Amino acid sequence: MFFWTVAALLTLAASLAVLAPLARRAPAVAAASDRDLDVYRDQLAEVDRDVSRALIGMDEAEQARAEIGRRILKLNASRRSTAGAAGWARAVGAAAVLAIPVLSWGLYGVLGSPDLPSQPLEARLSKQPAESSPDELIARAERALRANPGDGRGWDVLAPVYRRVGRANEAVFAYRNAIRLLGDSAPRWAGLGEALAEQSGGTVSADARAAFEKALSLDPQDAQARFFMNVAAAQEKRYDDAIAGWNGLAATLPAGSEWQQASQRAMALAMQRKAAEEGGGPATGPTTEDVAAADQMTDGERGEMIEAMVAALDERLRTQPDDPEGWKRLVRSYIVLGKTDAARDALARGSKALGDPAKADELVRFARSFGLDATE
Amino acid sequence: MVEIGQFSLVLAFALSLVQSVAPALGARLSDERLMAVGRPAAIAGFAFTALAFAILLWAHVVSDFSVLNVWENSHSLKPMLYKVTGAWGSHEGSMLLWVLILTLFGMMVALFGANLPDTLKANVIAVQGWIGAAFFLFILTTSNPFTRLDPAPIEGQDLNPVLQDVGLAVHPPLLYLGYVGFSVCFSFAVAALIDGRIDAAWARWVRPWTLAAWLFLTGGITMGSYWAYYELGWGGFWFWDPVENASFMPWLAGTALLHSALVMEKRAALKIWTVLLAILTFSLSLLGTFLVRSGVLTSVHAFATDPGRGIFILCILAFFIGGSLALFAWRAGSLAPGGLFQPVSREGALVLNNLFLTTAAATVLVGTLYPLLVEAIGADKISVGAPFFNLTFGPVILPLICVVPFGPLLAWKRGDLAAVAQRLAAAFAAALVVVLSILLFVDKSAVFAALGCGLAVWLVFGALTDLWVKAGFGAQPAAIAARRLAGLPMSMFGTTAAHMGLGLTLLGIVSTVAFQQERIVTLKPGEATEVGGYTLRYEGLTPAKGANYDEQRGTFAILRADGRAAGSVMSSKRLYTTRQMPTTEAGIRTMGFSQLYVSLGDETDDGGIVVRAWWKPLVTLIWLGGLVMMAGGVLSLCDRRLRVGAPARRRVRAAQAAGEAAG
Repeated sequence: MFFWTVAALLTLAASLAVLAPLARRAPAVAAASDRDLDVYRDQLAEVDRDVSRALIGMDEAEQARAEIGRRILKLNASRRSTAGAAGWARAVGAAAVLAIPVLSWGLYGVLGSPDLPSQPLEARLSKQPAESSPDELIARAERALRANPGDGRGWDVLAPVYRRVGRANEAVFAYRNAIRLLGDSAPRWAGLGEALAEQSGGTVSADARAAFEKALSLDPQDAQARFFMNVAAAQEKRYDDAIAGWNGLAATLPAGSEWQQASQRAMALAMQRKAAEEGGGPATGPTTEDVAAADQMTDGERGEMIEAMVAALDERLRTQPDDPEGWKRLVRSYIVLGKTDAARDALARGSKALGDPAKADELVRFARSFGLDATE
Repeated sequence: MVEIGQFSLVLAFALSLVQSVAPALGARLSDERLMAVGRPAAIAGFAFTALAFAILLWAHVVSDFSVLNVWENSHSLKPMLYKVTGAWGSHEGSMLLWVLILTLFGMMVALFGANLPDTLKANVIAVQGWIGAAFFLFILTTSNPFTRLDPAPIEGQDLNPVLQDVGLAVHPPLLYLGYVGFSVCFSFAVAALIDGRIDAAWARWVRPWTLAAWLFLTGGITMGSYWAYYELGWGGFWFWDPVENASFMPWLAGTALLHSALVMEKRAALKIWTVLLAILTFSLSLLGTFLVRSGVLTSVHAFATDPGRGIFILCILAFFIGGSLALFAWRAGSLAPGGLFQPVSREGALVLNNLFLTTAAATVLVGTLYPLLVEAIGADKISVGAPFFNLTFGPVILPLICVVPFGPLLAWKRGDLAAVAQRLAAAFAAALVVVLSILLFVDKSAVFAALGCGLAVWLVFGALTDLWVKAGFGAQPAAIAARRLAGLPMSMFGTTAAHMGLGLTLLGIVSTVAFQQERIVTLKPGEATEVGGYTLRYEGLTPAKGANYDEQRGTFAILRADGRAAGSVMSSKRLYTTRQMPTTEAGIRTMGFSQLYVSLGDETDDGGIVVRAWWKPLVTLIWLGGLVMMAGGVLSLCDRRLRVGAPARRRVRAAQAAGEAAG
């Protein structure tokens, strides 16, 4: 409301400014030649001043006066007629006055955002915490910590928040401060490790590994640190170690907990990656781009992508069944996805389709290594 | 609040449209009331632009990140000065400053133009309105500074670190005052062409405006040069960079205009040429605006590129330059030509000045645009650098500098060259002494440097000779001459100061280019290097933290040749955290008019650091000369003869007479 009132007042002021001279009686004006005459008179006076200062000689002054005199004689004394197209002029005047509100409100309608209030930073940061956005809360905490950088608890609270919103550099800084001010703890070291890993684009660097090891030395059961030690193993292509580790971790954690779910997903990916590397060709497994894409996805999307890939593999094996490695991958994928029935079905179809008993036996043995028997 | 700024800007655009149509039609239809609309429209237009600018400034000061422009160019931790100057550190903000100054000048014409002929005034205000309307439209359609963000981010992206400097507070406003100041001369020229006549008041009006614009442009260029010198860390003061040239061309043309307007005022000659020059000068200013903002160039000055903007400005450019030149071609014939004159006379000298200056401006124009044209037609990417300009601009400008001292000493109408040469003998002798002493005592092989210094001294003493002669020293007792000196018109002091300033700048340039010493060494803490007779001892790096950057400060102790300490100098390497952008802050210590310039390079593995150190003799004269030139402009502007139009007494009488005539 305030804005519209001000806008209306401003429009009124602008329109009145244009209207005022139009409403007034035509001002009396001097003809252009009168103005010229004034200028020439002033030039004559200037010549006199120059003479009195002895800047120019008498001869020069006379010449200058004569020249200015000639200019005065040349002046065209005719006055311009002020009568004329009065009707036209009135129409233009009316259009000019109207143009102000019409143009300004029309253009503002296109360009403006009248409902968006100003948001000075100071005002945003002194709002009630409940009304603030996460960004604003972080900024508030930052401000408090700038004023009092020795507040370890503040760093401790802020650090994981930074990490979650993807500000890895700040997260590392905050974890380091929290550890310095509050002392060692497994969650802080593990959090620092994860932030360091994020900082180096998701790979567990030497720094990150050292941090996780420190966390495990403080608490060997720390889920976050254990999880990432397996990530490190997977990165070194020790997939079996990684998968076993995650398997063990998932078993000890309560079902549905954060790290248990993360472990299962990571396991699935690691298996595919392993398979892709063992199988070789790009058509046989997820490409590195696919996996990289999977890292970027939400859990739901990631699950869908994996299922889609498994379904595609299943479809291919129905038409081209002579592919022992393919059958192995399919069985394992179903196991990892938790679809035991589908896995058993795939195993049965595979051993039948392969024909060659040696290859079929190998597939059964492979399935058994994951605790899956051909028939109950 | 922010939306009120947006609304004011829209209103200012609407007003500029009214301002561009109503007074011009009024002048055409001889309707006083329509003509009178120009004045309040120009005043209100400025008021609303100022309101919009003030609100943008406020948004920057309070870090309102719901404004896109603030988010892109500010940071809550930025020092307050840079929050304020950041408002015009971006393309959008600087365009708003541009139109703010344009409307300011439009308002000043409206306010102080009471004694201008009415049709002339109405047409001038209308032409100002056209320029304003074009640029308001440009701002609103392609570069709106009030675009909003919803939801608003919590932190901004910070201003380009190179711009976080006091220079930003001074350089762009001065430069724009210069560029845009020439718009008034342009408007006067176009108005005269529309009217088909040049009033006597025309020249009297154009000269102070030219002087004011020239004065600011001189300041802007000087400041920009010093800023580049200390901020970019290369120790150079002029790079013949296309953007620098873009400001230099209007300066050259404006200087020519300043001198031709003088002839026109005094002798009613060179009228048509002056009109053309006024058009060309502002056209070159517009060209500068186009080059900087179209994305044609890459440089410190080039703002984020957007083809839409470039095409829009190109259209504005084509309309105003093409339109005004077409108008000139069509109407120039109807203007009454001025009188003839002798070649050896003050006016003859001023014509010579104009010839050289416009040729110089054309040379720079070719050097600036040629590479762009070659690139545009798809041929090679070529670069035209200092060698080209030294070979082309130098030979044009040097003869002009040689004859500068003659000009003011020549009389109007009929000059006596021999008598003037006689009076300048002392200045010539001084120059000769300087040349010989440099050759004998400084460097036997530096012939060109010696001649350059001699030329500079010739300019300085030649300018002083003018005052000396006019006051009558030598011809009359000293007491009388001193009294006459005090009574001389201010504009004479202005001329002397401006020509002297040119000499000082030349001296600074020649001395720096010819006699500077450079050292590039790798130093470890405790090691030293010698430059310009001083020893620089590297004390080591210390980390420090600024408001929005971290820095490594390298300190150097300065020792004289005899081992005495002479203070210290500090250069630092900064990292601006938000943009992760490193900058180098040069360490500069001024000794007399000379400077010791130290800049840090990369660190080496064994704890050393690359140090570049220069000894730059008399380097500050380059910019002090610019300031002296500005002072000359101010002095001239203070001259009572330039108080515009006729004295007030006459105006009252004229108004009475007119009142009687009308009643």
